[in-house]
Amino acid sequence: MAVRKHPSFRQFLADRGFFIVLALTFALFSVATDNFLSVGNVFGVIHSMTPLAVMSVGMALVVMTGKIDISVGSVAFLSTSIGVIAMRDYGFGPLAACALTLLVGVVCGAVNGVLVARFGVDPLITTLGSMIAFRGLGLQLTNSVMLQLPEATRASGNIAVGPVYLDILFGALVIVGFHYLHTRRPFGRVLTAIGNDVVAANKVGLPVDRVVFQSFVISGLMAAVAGTMTALQLGAVTAFLGQGAEFNALAVIVVGGISLTGGRGNLLVGIPLGAALFEFIRNGLTHLGADPYSYRLVGGVVIFVAMYADAIRTKLLASRRKLIIDG
Amino acid sequence: MATSSEPILCMTDIDKHFPGVIALTKARLTVRPGEVMALMGANGAGKSTLMNVLGGVISPNGGTIELSGATVAFQSPRDSKAAGIAFVHQELTMFGTMTVAENIFIDDFPMASQLTDTRRMRAEATRLLDLVGARIEPDMPVEQLGTGDRQLIEIARALRRNPKVIIFDEPTSSLTDRERHRLFEVVRSLRQAGAAVIYITHFLDEIFAVCDRVTVMRDGTTVSDNAIAEVTAADVVRLMLGPTEEAGRLRPPTPSSASALVEVSGLSRSGALRDVALSLRPGEIVGLWGLLGSGRTELIRALMGLDPIDDGRITWFGDGQGRSVTPTELCGFAGLVTEDRRGEGIVAPQSITDNVALPNLGHLSSALGVIDGRRAEKLACETMNRLSVKASGPQQAIGTLSGGNQQKVVLGRWLAVQPRLFLLDEPTRGLDVSAKTDILKLVVELAQSGCAVLFVSSELGELMRVADRYLVMSRGQIIDDLPPTASEDDLMRAVA
Amino acid sequence: MSVQADPTLPAPRLRLRQYLPSLILLVLVATLLTVMWAYMPNFFRLNNIINILLQASILGLLAIGMTGVLITGGIDLSMPANMALAAVLGTMAMRSTGSAAIGPVVMLAVGLALGAVNAVAVARLKMIPFVVTLSTMTVVSGTCIWITNSVSITGLPPSYTHTLLAKPFGIPVGVFAMVLFTVIASFVMQRCVPGRWLYTVGLNPRAARIGRVPVDRVIAGAYLAAGLMAGVTAVLLTARLGSASANMGADALTLDIIAACVVGGVSTFGGVGRAYGAVFGAILITVLSNVMNLAGVSFYVGLVIKGAVIVAFVAAEHRWRH
Repeated sequence: MAVRKHPSFRQFLADRGFFIVLALTFALFSVATDNFLSVGNVFGVIHSMTPLAVMSVGMALVVMTGKIDISVGSVAFLSTSIGVIAMRDYGFGPLAACALTLLVGVVCGAVNGVLVARFGVDPLITTLGSMIAFRGLGLQLTNSVMLQLPEATRASGNIAVGPVYLDILFGALVIVGFHYLHTRRPFGRVLTAIGNDVVAANKVGLPVDRVVFQSFVISGLMAAVAGTMTALQLGAVTAFLGQGAEFNALAVIVVGGISLTGGRGNLLVGIPLGAALFEFIRNGLTHLGADPYSYRLVGGVVIFVAMYADAIRTKLLASRRKLIIDG
Repeated sequence: MATSSEPILCMTDIDKHFPGVIALTKARLTVRPGEVMALMGANGAGKSTLMNVLGGVISPNGGTIELSGATVAFQSPRDSKAAGIAFVHQELTMFGTMTVAENIFIDDFPMASQLTDTRRMRAEATRLLDLVGARIEPDMPVEQLGTGDRQLIEIARALRRNPKVIIFDEPTSSLTDRERHRLFEVVRSLRQAGAAVIYITHFLDEIFAVCDRVTVMRDGTTVSDNAIAEVTAADVVRLMLGPTEEAGRLRPPTPSSASALVEVSGLSRSGALRDVALSLRPGEIVGLWGLLGSGRTELIRALMGLDPIDDGRITWFGDGQGRSVTPTELCGFAGLVTEDRRGEGIVAPQSITDNVALPNLGHLSSALGVIDGRRAEKLACETMNRLSVKASGPQQAIGTLSGGNQQKVVLGRWLAVQPRLFLLDEPTRGLDVSAKTDILKLVVELAQSGCAVLFVSSELGELMRVADRYLVMSRGQIIDDLPPTASEDDLMRAVA
Repeated sequence: MSVQADPTLPAPRLRLRQYLPSLILLVLVATLLTVMWAYMPNFFRLNNIINILLQASILGLLAIGMTGVLITGGIDLSMPANMALAAVLGTMAMRSTGSAAIGPVVMLAVGLALGAVNAVAVARLKMIPFVVTLSTMTVVSGTCIWITNSVSITGLPPSYTHTLLAKPFGIPVGVFAMVLFTVIASFVMQRCVPGRWLYTVGLNPRAARIGRVPVDRVIAGAYLAAGLMAGVTAVLLTARLGSASANMGADALTLDIIAACVVGGVSTFGGVGRAYGAVFGAILITVLSNVMNLAGVSFYVGLVIKGAVIVAFVAAEHRWRH
């Protein structure tokens, strides 16, 4: 039957689509531009995508429960701002400032977590509110000017061993760590169970609220880590740090095959893959000489398609079976 | 059989009141080790409440629970679990994207050096799966397995802590024949191993296949406790349903000779309906009779497009010659009352007027779509008077009415729409006697005015007051078409 | 009001729950007005009030559109972006044709078209509303920046600005538009069939379906209406600013719209809220911004306060419901 073919093709696209898209993108840019495929460029791309990947992996835990945290970009900005100000005005050393930054990230995540898990506020509204509130606070503290990092710390974001940047190693470590947290710790398993079916999870007696709270805290922490990495790479905290990052992180997650309805996805494969696709497209466009303003457009299209694939994959469309009638 | 040994579980005189409802009064249940006890009862008989008390989900207002001779009081499901009581829920609590082994150990993972011990999990899972006779790889994601296998995994999870009492809550409602037999084997082997099993089901054949004793509940209390050899299936049905109210028929049987209004053939939905065919004629009330889980609700939902169907054909003769319609289109011709009043009947925060007006908005508004509030209120008042709805006025929020009055509004709103087909699924559930009679009278009126009515009820006595013929359902199929002269015994035997 | 209600019924509690948000709102307004009176007695002069209303009109019109979507239980994050793109394309059309009439037509059409994209994705493809509208927001604002190169597009036909900045009877067109749309939206939502359907879908979609409500069409209609309101707002805001730019659709505006709705008693869980409530919320948010401005609160701290207000209102609403 002609109708049968259609869903299976869709299914195929939904399952394998983004490997194909990544391969095609890669091939296209390699052919179309001169130095896209050079070792330096590839590692450069991976270098610049690492903070995004780290942020995404934290947010992915929240997504795994079927919830959402769109405050991550603002958390990154607020926490690094406070860290830099501590160094500049209060004589904090780099390590103490870093610790303070991470602490701020944890606190921000805890605020979201309490509102969602304890007070039952819709996660989208909560984190939309906190997204704007945290950024507002950060802009107020920094007077929305760029803050330079001290000379000594500035270079540490771009230390490289051969062609491999140090933070690539760090990012890889984080992702592997989170993969184990997700697949081999009871916390990660309960997280996945909640995303599968929160009613069943409650029925079995799993600590749903506690785990949801913790996922928000971790998301905040990783946002702060990602913010620190970005600041080290740039050597400064700008007012734009983390702006739109929540969207990019969401794109990475969805493109990486982690379902927004929760419970489904593989961090070890999905996050690097998603981040790579996103960053290679951007880099490729630059090499093609495309207008930088078109990035957001392309990114938006990518995420829209990924969401559609996600909707198919989670069989939201499958329930729309129709009765076949013949006259 | 070890029926002579001391009881391991003894629930005596359990009372439970909810605001406005008495759920249990002096309910009793006694189970011995190595015994499979069937727990039977019609809808609302109190089985699930009693089991929730045992599971620590709710605490009783009175009565005692003795476990292995000692009195216990469970504050939480955790207590109950720790005391050796295990539940196999009717609705499976499986997490599809996770592996079989993970699902078994989800609330208590074996650990090794800070990580889940996958090797031990796999070994333990294999052992437990063997025990329940499931041939499944422990590393398989559960979503790739069928319902039968999931049911077995659920049982494996329950067996993990070597429980003394295992409760099966309608374990076979979605299993195939082969899977059922495999499940029976499991239950028998548990009995062999000395566990006490409480087996809740609506399928009478099953209790004779696997159970040793049968406890029957009705209206929140225990009415009998017999060895299985002492009773017949018809006895159990009679005990469950109680004495049929001798209230007379509301109108003499009037089999319709008119040509069909709607014909259905080959209606199927995997796991719920198999090749259902029926036809409804104008002016007749067709009683759809079957025990819970027989597929009667599923049939109504499939006909109305509320659940998807795999196959089938519906022909509508409402406008002269017949034409094929989809369930969704059929829904547009029908007045529908589902059994889930709160979820699918009323729009709780809105007023009676708004609820009555909802399907009538087309008539109650001008060409530009402006609703005529006065006419809507008039319609609501008429409906309320006709059905004697008790409320402070048509502007009262429907959610604040009693169940009976809510139901009258839900049914009454269709009167003005004047559909020619009515599908009523348990329209009298939870209503008191007078409200029930009011609803039944209304149903008769509808038939007299020429509507075709398909009427579902789990109370046989009620069905017998109005039905002009009976369609008998069992396991998703229509197995019989009985005339209005069928006696109570005939009907009981048809489903037993 | 019922006099003979059965005392055993939980009706009175429900009524208190209904009015509590309005009461809190009233207290909030009273406080704000007192502060205004103390800081700036001029505030209460007619001119200033009209000025405030004019400021609030943009937010109010967008909030009307958002209200419909929120009532279905969804959300539309793309409204400001849609407005910006509509404004940019409309302005470009006017500039290239020199005709003032084409501008509003293009803007409304663009708004509707973008609304239709959201509508199809949510109602037909059953995608998650916030994800859909977040994507459209990004695509649309990306497109907008791309087209304009982040530069304002000027050169509006004088007749365009002239007409839309007119003040018949001393009241600006923008305020008229806000009042007009508030009345229309409130009337349609309270008194007309589509409005009744909208609330029913938000309160209980399954019961709505059984009660013969065309649920998918109602949801689609809400997103279309939101798109239309984005277009209407584009027409007015372009005239006010004298130009169109990608900046018109800043993220903070999304927050203001949601704040206006939430403060105005529109539930983010669906089924509850009035268009005039949202407009009232928009005025309140505008006054709040002015008060914070006067009190020397920076724009950024203002954002923090607004974010906190939204979350507090939603949390409180959640408590009332459960």
